[in-house]
Amino acid sequence: MKKKLLWGAAVLLVALLALFGRDLLGFYHLVTYIDSTTQAYEADGPWPQTADACYGCHGLRGNSQHQRYPSLAGQPADYLKAQLHGFANGTRHFPNMQPLAMSLGDAEIDKLANYYARQTPMDNHTFQPDPGLRQQGEKLVQAGACAACHGEKLMGQGAFPRLAGQGADYLLVQLDAFAQGSRVDPTGSMKAVTQALSAQDRKALAHYLAALAATPK
Amino acid sequence: MAGLTAARDLLTAGCRSFQVLEARERVGGRVLNYDLGSGYISEVGGQWIGPGQTAVADLARELQVDTFPTYYQGKTVVLGGEGRLEIDLQGTFGTDERIGAKLSELSKLVPSGKPWASSKVNELDKLSAGDWLAQQDIKPEDRSGWDTSFMLTCGVAPAKMSLLHFLSMINSASCDYMKLDSIKDSAQGTRFVGGSQLLCTRMAEQLGDRLRLACPVRAISEWDRDVVTLHTDQGLIRARRVIVAIHPALCNQVRFEPALPEGRAALQRAWPAHSPARKTAMVYKRPFWREKGLNGHTMQVKGPLLWAWDNSPPNGEIGVINAFVVNAMLPSDHQAAQQVLTEIYARSLGEEALQPVAYHDHDWGLADPWSLTCVSAIPPGFWSEHGESLRPPCGNLIWSGTETADIWAGYMDGAVRSGHQSALQALASLRRA
Repeated sequence: MKKKLLWGAAVLLVALLALFGRDLLGFYHLVTYIDSTTQAYEADGPWPQTADACYGCHGLRGNSQHQRYPSLAGQPADYLKAQLHGFANGTRHFPNMQPLAMSLGDAEIDKLANYYARQTPMDNHTFQPDPGLRQQGEKLVQAGACAACHGEKLMGQGAFPRLAGQGADYLLVQLDAFAQGSRVDPTGSMKAVTQALSAQDRKALAHYLAALAATPK
Repeated sequence: MAGLTAARDLLTAGCRSFQVLEARERVGGRVLNYDLGSGYISEVGGQWIGPGQTAVADLARELQVDTFPTYYQGKTVVLGGEGRLEIDLQGTFGTDERIGAKLSELSKLVPSGKPWASSKVNELDKLSAGDWLAQQDIKPEDRSGWDTSFMLTCGVAPAKMSLLHFLSMINSASCDYMKLDSIKDSAQGTRFVGGSQLLCTRMAEQLGDRLRLACPVRAISEWDRDVVTLHTDQGLIRARRVIVAIHPALCNQVRFEPALPEGRAALQRAWPAHSPARKTAMVYKRPFWREKGLNGHTMQVKGPLLWAWDNSPPNGEIGVINAFVVNAMLPSDHQAAQQVLTEIYARSLGEEALQPVAYHDHDWGLADPWSLTCVSAIPPGFWSEHGESLRPPCGNLIWSGTETADIWAGYMDGAVRSGHQSALQALASLRRA
């Protein structure tokens, strides 16, 4: 009798697993995922965090897959602080960012800048560069000595932003803005650099830089 | 929608001497239909109405635009990493109703049309919704639901959303959180047959040549004189009253001469514009998920998908899955984005999802320069500082648009209400003059 009951229970268990095993496994994976992402999230502080407001455009931990919205991961903190203050005081123009930056206090700006500066930058793997433009862009970067300000691997330093692996459309819009004078950098050198380039040159630069590996510091 | 409603009211009142200036080459503003062919559409912008939204419902009846319920019957799928859960949420988003009830109670203290006049303004406006939620002992597995809910309804994560403003939104919904942030019997419960833009195109048809498309206003001068001059791409236009039915943040792109009073100018400068929603539509031959007991709704924890839902036509003749997506987590290239989303839908709805017949992808932040943003992610402290400057006219300028509505501000219903209100203001002031 006992043996029959054991067999019955085993058969029932197998039947239940056959019916619901996939669902149970899916649920288990979901719970595990929520646990692991919660732990990673809380390493930066309790829920909810100010940086949550940024991820829609700038991606999880500052890595954007969208070519028009910039990645913030690994950007130098000084650069990020300067940009947020610039948006807030109107010296840098972008209608979506300006009111948001105005709503941030100095402490929040410092915290956000430091948060993104310490995130690991990822390569821009959703961008496929045009081979010809990429080659042309590489030559321009070398001739223009971009590394002198933006760092050896163009990963940014101090007040100068990371360019490697940045969104291609974003880079092009910024290069055009410097050339047209609608964006101004503190040294004023970007205006001179970009005005000496043709529209095609600026596009080539964007293709080369966007495809460049983002090397963590 | 606000401007067209105002124009329609002016016509009804017998006023014939006006022009509607539309910057885009189409009408509808943040309301837009995507033509799927064979007479079907999918809504690209604002699309739902719900209980208490009587102004837009009345307008639809007058324009003979029918409504039908949003499809929610069946199980919703929640994805996260390799995980997957099917759950019947009974027409809700699955947020904790206990916390919803607390919010509903608090919302009674915050008048929808004037949150800055709340008796608790000092206490509530210094807090973000996130500050408040952090005190509610919300479990990690429920936090994602709240994050998603705020992203969808408020256009921002709870940490940067004013608690006062969020409560004013619930106040609009008869002080019932579930009427704001749910599907069944809520603000997402009802759709328009033929799409929401049909309301606007029907109103536009009644205006004839009083409507000028592709006519952006670049500057408004002498707004403090008897006759105001509008500088447009189609020349100068002079008027005794001007109804400005555009988003407050867009007003920053119009040059005002003389400059606006500092209070109004400060409100415009600070008005949030960082919620440029990206909405997609995946089209299938039929809504195959319904046969499996699924409602076509998918939520994803920390993934590219915020929320996908069944957006098929009333009788389900074809299958449409619409979605709000996390812009930066989805490639900007539409073909690549379609690939990512079909793979997500295959996991949530089945392998049939890998065979869509069409895809549409619209980022409101980039589609044209005249939208900027979707809903208004009002930050803490905003209403205390700027609330009193929202509605008072400046000279002969009358401020309109959904953001100025007494209730359901930010919704299509608010747009219609503000249109009615501004037409009344214009007519009353002209009669006095």
